[in-house]
Amino acid sequence: MINFFYTYQSLFDHILVYALLAMSQYVVLRAGVFSLGTAGFAAMGAYGTALLITKAGWSPVAAIAAGALLGTVTSALLAFPLSRLRGVFQAVATLAFVQIVLSATQNWVSLTNGALGVNGIPKVASTPVLLVVVVVVVLLLVAMGRYSVGRAMDVIREDETVAVSLGISVPYYHRIAFIVSGALAGLGGALQATSSYAITPNEFGFSMLVAALTMVVLGGRTTVWGALVGAAILTSLPELFRVFADYRNVVQGILLMLVIVYLPRGVADTVLGRMRDRRLRRAALASAPVPEQKPQIVNTNMEAGAHP
Amino acid sequence: MSATLVLQDVARHFGGVPAVDGVSLRVPAGQITGLIGPNGAGKTTVVNLITGLLHLTSGKVLLEDRDVSREEAPDLARAGVARTFQNIRLVPDASVLDNVIAGFHRHEKAGLWANLLGLPSARAETAELKRQAMQLLERFDMTALAEHRAGGLSYGHQRRIEMMRALATNPKLLLLDEPVAGMNDAEAESLAGIFRKVAADGVAVLLIEHNMRFVMSLCSHIYVLASGRLIAEGLPEAVGRDPKVVEAYLGA
Repeated sequence: MINFFYTYQSLFDHILVYALLAMSQYVVLRAGVFSLGTAGFAAMGAYGTALLITKAGWSPVAAIAAGALLGTVTSALLAFPLSRLRGVFQAVATLAFVQIVLSATQNWVSLTNGALGVNGIPKVASTPVLLVVVVVVVLLLVAMGRYSVGRAMDVIREDETVAVSLGISVPYYHRIAFIVSGALAGLGGALQATSSYAITPNEFGFSMLVAALTMVVLGGRTTVWGALVGAAILTSLPELFRVFADYRNVVQGILLMLVIVYLPRGVADTVLGRMRDRRLRRAALASAPVPEQKPQIVNTNMEAGAHP
Repeated sequence: MSATLVLQDVARHFGGVPAVDGVSLRVPAGQITGLIGPNGAGKTTVVNLITGLLHLTSGKVLLEDRDVSREEAPDLARAGVARTFQNIRLVPDASVLDNVIAGFHRHEKAGLWANLLGLPSARAETAELKRQAMQLLERFDMTALAEHRAGGLSYGHQRRIEMMRALATNPKLLLLDEPVAGMNDAEAESLAGIFRKVAADGVAVLLIEHNMRFVMSLCSHIYVLASGRLIAEGLPEAVGRDPKVVEAYLGA
């Protein structure tokens, strides 16, 4: 029983850390920035925090703040050249950044211990701490999505030509999204380091990059709930499929393909969309004292809405 | 009298091939000016040149007597140029209301931090914009659909959303790129009423159309474009009788 609880708790921690990374990926995708930099910023946050604690003797809280700041500052520096690029060029440029950070963690042995990684990091990011951080970040991102910045990002993601014709500066919002993404990834990395006793370079490699991206695609790109749902599903899935340990990646890949084909908007976006349609249908029925014309029009629109 | 928009001998070449050549026109405030022409005449290229999406090869664009030939699209939008798109371009997953509110972007004043953190100033501003957007929806008879997903609505409704979004920018110059394409006469007539009212409020409207009858009934002055060149201009009746125009439309 105790054993089960411990397994469960570490899984929960893992979900919360990955939720931060997925939200970092969500912010850029929402604004139409095809950045893959999350894994790189997370590595910087994790190594910064771990080394400040173990080598420089900083207090864990200050080190976590510094790790998050490191992610923020790096992304702010990269944001200026990257906001001039688009689509696949942004993807390639950020991939190159991840590669540089990974090489540094593997080969700058005097600082990072190379492939051995950093050990003996105190576990200060307990489950409640992680939970509070994730809740605060979710609230901030919900606020960000609801007002001017979120609206501008939606228009840019959907159609840059429309955005510029409404006077929206695309590079400006790309930079904001990129910096927020870097800050969240830095924070996620810092918390990963302080919740798992040790970090190694290969945690931050291609698999983390793919995981963060997959979570957002699986969960849904237009709301922050998509990132949370994606992180929960994709992190707990390997545990549920322990029986097929050898085929874990295969199962994950099949699931992703099924979602892309049958729920292209992602799990959370599809569910939220259905809920909205149902709410509107109910409201239309409730406010239909004259059932001659209006409800009919509204119903056909609903049908169209349910099957895009 | 100086017009809101003046094009002086505007040309745009694509790899040496002229798409638009030697076009001069004036769009005065308070009137609907028509720009018509057969398919491929270069009408949409003219709109893209005015809105800064394309840059001129030669010539000048003056907005309220200011030379804006080299300005970028977002700056022109902030200077009061709004447009609708021939192929509808909305945020399909956002609600009708949110699509319209996006049009208010250039009038938003709340700061970045207020918007990032959802501070009271950003909330108050969004509430106020929502109220103004609802007024626009009322004008276009779409209040019942405010919360619906824009992408799920009919073609005519989506066209209206585009127009509300353009009007939300509160423009000086409104470019309508085939706004009634695919609509029936009754729908087109109800939009014509709205266009007349917008012009009467002092906006300079340039209507790009295919449908001769619709343009004739609405515009005070018409320019006819064929193969990138102006072939006629004048009052609707005169243009309609011009043999060159008849030939361009019906073929020789």
